[in-house]
Amino acid sequence: MNWLKQAVTRGKIYDDLAEEMRLHLEEKTERLVESGMDRKAAEFQAKREFGNATILEERSREIWQWPIFESILNDVRFALRQLQRAPAFAIVAIVALSLGIGASAAVFSVMDAILLRPLPFAHQERLVVPVMASRTGLAQAYSYPSYVDMRAQLKTFDALAGYAGGIDNSNLEGPSGPASVRLIRGTDNFFTAFGVKPILGRTYLLGEDQPGRDDIAVLSYEVWKTTFASQTNVVGKVIRLGGIPYTVIGVMPSGFRFPLSAHNVIYTPLHPSEAQRKQRGARWVRLVGLIKDGVPRDRALADIDRVLSDIGRAHPNTDGKLTGNLIALTEDVNSLTSGGKVNGPLVMLALACLALLGIACVNIAGLLLARGVKRDREMALRAAVGASRGRLVQQLLSESMVLCICGLGGGLLASWLLLKAFNVFLINAMARGADVHLNLTVVAVALGLSLLTSILASLTPAVRLSGTDPNWALRANTAGAGAGRNQRRLQSTFVVIQVGFSLVLLMVSGLLLRNLREMLKTDLGFNPSTILATEIDLSPGRYVGRDPVTGFYQPLLERISHLPGVEGVGVIDNLPVQSWGSSQDVHIAGHAPYPTNQQMSAEIRFVSRGYFDAMGIKLTRGRMLSSEQDRADINPAGTVIVNAAFQRKFFPNGDDPVGAHIDNDPKIKLKMGIVGVVTDVRQNLQDSPLAEMDELMDELDPKLRRDYLGNMTLVVRSNGDLSALVPSLRNALHEVDPTVPFKTPSTMSQVVSETLIFQRMESWLLGIFASFALLLAIIGLFGLVNYEVESRTREIGIRMALGSTRAQVTRVVLGRVSLLMLGGVSIGWGLTLALRTILATVVRINAAQDALLLAGLTASLAVIGILACLPSANRAASTDPMRALRSE
Amino acid sequence: MAKSPQQRDLFPGALEMMILQSVRYQPMHGYALVQHIKERSNELLQVEEGSLYPALQRMLKEEFLKAEWKISDTNRKIRLYKITPAGIKHLEHEVFRFERMLEGISLVLAPAKS
Repeated sequence: MNWLKQAVTRGKIYDDLAEEMRLHLEEKTERLVESGMDRKAAEFQAKREFGNATILEERSREIWQWPIFESILNDVRFALRQLQRAPAFAIVAIVALSLGIGASAAVFSVMDAILLRPLPFAHQERLVVPVMASRTGLAQAYSYPSYVDMRAQLKTFDALAGYAGGIDNSNLEGPSGPASVRLIRGTDNFFTAFGVKPILGRTYLLGEDQPGRDDIAVLSYEVWKTTFASQTNVVGKVIRLGGIPYTVIGVMPSGFRFPLSAHNVIYTPLHPSEAQRKQRGARWVRLVGLIKDGVPRDRALADIDRVLSDIGRAHPNTDGKLTGNLIALTEDVNSLTSGGKVNGPLVMLALACLALLGIACVNIAGLLLARGVKRDREMALRAAVGASRGRLVQQLLSESMVLCICGLGGGLLASWLLLKAFNVFLINAMARGADVHLNLTVVAVALGLSLLTSILASLTPAVRLSGTDPNWALRANTAGAGAGRNQRRLQSTFVVIQVGFSLVLLMVSGLLLRNLREMLKTDLGFNPSTILATEIDLSPGRYVGRDPVTGFYQPLLERISHLPGVEGVGVIDNLPVQSWGSSQDVHIAGHAPYPTNQQMSAEIRFVSRGYFDAMGIKLTRGRMLSSEQDRADINPAGTVIVNAAFQRKFFPNGDDPVGAHIDNDPKIKLKMGIVGVVTDVRQNLQDSPLAEMDELMDELDPKLRRDYLGNMTLVVRSNGDLSALVPSLRNALHEVDPTVPFKTPSTMSQVVSETLIFQRMESWLLGIFASFALLLAIIGLFGLVNYEVESRTREIGIRMALGSTRAQVTRVVLGRVSLLMLGGVSIGWGLTLALRTILATVVRINAAQDALLLAGLTASLAVIGILACLPSANRAASTDPMRALRSE
Repeated sequence: MAKSPQQRDLFPGALEMMILQSVRYQPMHGYALVQHIKERSNELLQVEEGSLYPALQRMLKEEFLKAEWKISDTNRKIRLYKITPAGIKHLEHEVFRFERMLEGISLVLAPAKS
């Protein structure tokens, strides 16, 4: 463009100008000489009539410049030189900014991905998850028949889709061995609800969830890309899923994923069995609905309740007194896998970040302020030679701009590293964790924050400096003379704020880390370091007409039990710590009806005979389950073993559970009997052991085995090296069934720490923030005290000359430090108490119980602060009065 | 830096208008322009000679003028300024505005005199 050409040719323009002006003067002088004037006088007059050539030339040049831009450029150059001259200051300031900005940008990236970014569906505001509110208030899924009724009778929905398979893995038989994919089985209108078009082929047509037409599959982009190498001719191909052939009909775009936490998904139509089509008691269909445009959510909910009460009247035994509830899909996806809400911890993290950023901000302000004092004379000199107040402010602002741009660079780097470090945590802990990347919006946020920080930080010193009276500042001949009382008070306030903020962070992260340690130390009821666990997913297609117990599990367990080093082996459908929540209402035969407000349910598990031994669970009463006595053909009622928690819950008055029956069938002969009591194991880490009943998998009706036992977890206990067992486990598995993918086993200790992934991330993040904050606060404190000692050398010298002892001087300095720390600590405690409710979303503060920890943290903060100032105090005490006075 | 009173009395753009008018029919160099303006104004306008140059640079930038180095009849190296079509347009516009302004000012001043 034009300006570019001008910028390039500017040198020539200036030369021409200078030449032209010189020639003008020359011509003028010559004319005057020609008219008879003396040459000297002519030169003088020419110059006088011409005006101030330097200024005129300058003004002419400016026409070709962008004056503001160029003066800023000069300021920037100058600022860089200034920073080079004070590298310690520059490093501290840039590090402080980078930490503040980096942490904020990282956490805001997470918040953006988790809370702010729209879901990859059309009409996300109309998408809801209808759940059933049960008597006990727990959200439940629907039975297939009630889904069908609701779909037919609801008036306020454009589409109501059902799906199943939240946690089911299936084996896709690929060219390079079996691959594990997640199967999401949906009704024919599943894709209609989301309004997303496939990139290849089509999605289901109406009626394609009926038997005979339902052997079709839609691939997720991920599976299409990884397993099918993005082949465009994949549509029409036949793939084998769990041993059953499916025809691929379409591929979804990369953004589409449902449920959002699901990876490696293949979508197929729902395949309810004949029994499932009729059973109203079995609730396994999850729903997702698209409300009609313009219908408010409460009207849709009223519609659901109307239909549910109709269903309840028609089928009072199974569906009586049910009410529905609607959760917006946006809320639903933001919950953690463990069921908790992510918003609380995220808000907490955001606050922690803001605190860190605030600390960085005041730290820099403090630094700039202290530095500003040393530059009072420089500023005064500038003002004396004609720099305007605005010009001085501009220069100081550009200096902090330079800092801020360096801070931005450092911050982006820091946030990238933070996100990289927490990538694994995020993917595991949050439904949309994998979507978290440092994005442009966040960069903009970071830039905004960094600008704000630097402007705030530079404004105070800039305004103060630019108000300097040149006369006064030039006359005062010590650097310290510029440090007024106000200035020192401001700096002290900064330090106090920093100490306060970092104390809050310290206390929160201290509590979190302690909670985490307690959870890791929980008595699980088994020794996690001696037990290996791995998931087993059978291909149902291979077990049509075959019993998975006799055909797979028994031979597998047999083989493994003979491996060297194996002390016990078993299988269970829900591995303790990892999964729980498979429960049913229980009533003990002969007990009076339980009050309706009490939740009398127990977890139920299918296990193999050796499971208890493998986990190290001990029998305390009665007998163990046995494959000989507890078989469906011999004992049709079924038998269970219950745990100690079950005994406490259902037999609180000390009755013997052994011999009691569970009221699960009207016929007395078919009531399930309790044969033994075993020790507790933790089903999850958050709650104390839940009541549990365990049934032998051999007792299960052979017809149900294929559905119930398709996804089990193998547990192996060994006294030796667990990792040495892995290859032989793989061999054993593949000898029994080569189509089952072998997943690398983890020790139960690993399972425990994986379940605590979010807690770990939270504690570590806050721990890191707290240490950053502490570091910055101590730097700020050290800087202030050091500076005070330096600027008061003379005063200290006089004191000592008048008879102050070293101890007295030290006491004065440390007294000041203690005062600052006291202020910071009070602010910290005040803030913690004020923020109690927000903090409670992550960590409960129990004053009595945590008093020791909190007091310890406070005390160590104070001690660290005082220690950091000891060198300065020492230096003050060793001031030589003669030298201090002479140095004037 | 102090400006002479004469110069301060010139309203913004006046000098540029006079320069454009001066070179409209005959290209001139800086020194000649100053002499031309002085003569034509009967020495009423005492233009500080150097202040011509910022104005010239401004108009070069706006492309109202073009400049080229020449050797004059008196065998001097001179930088000759010529008006461009855009310059003519600008001049006419400015003159029109100036006349309107003058008319307005005169109307306001007239009753005071009577």
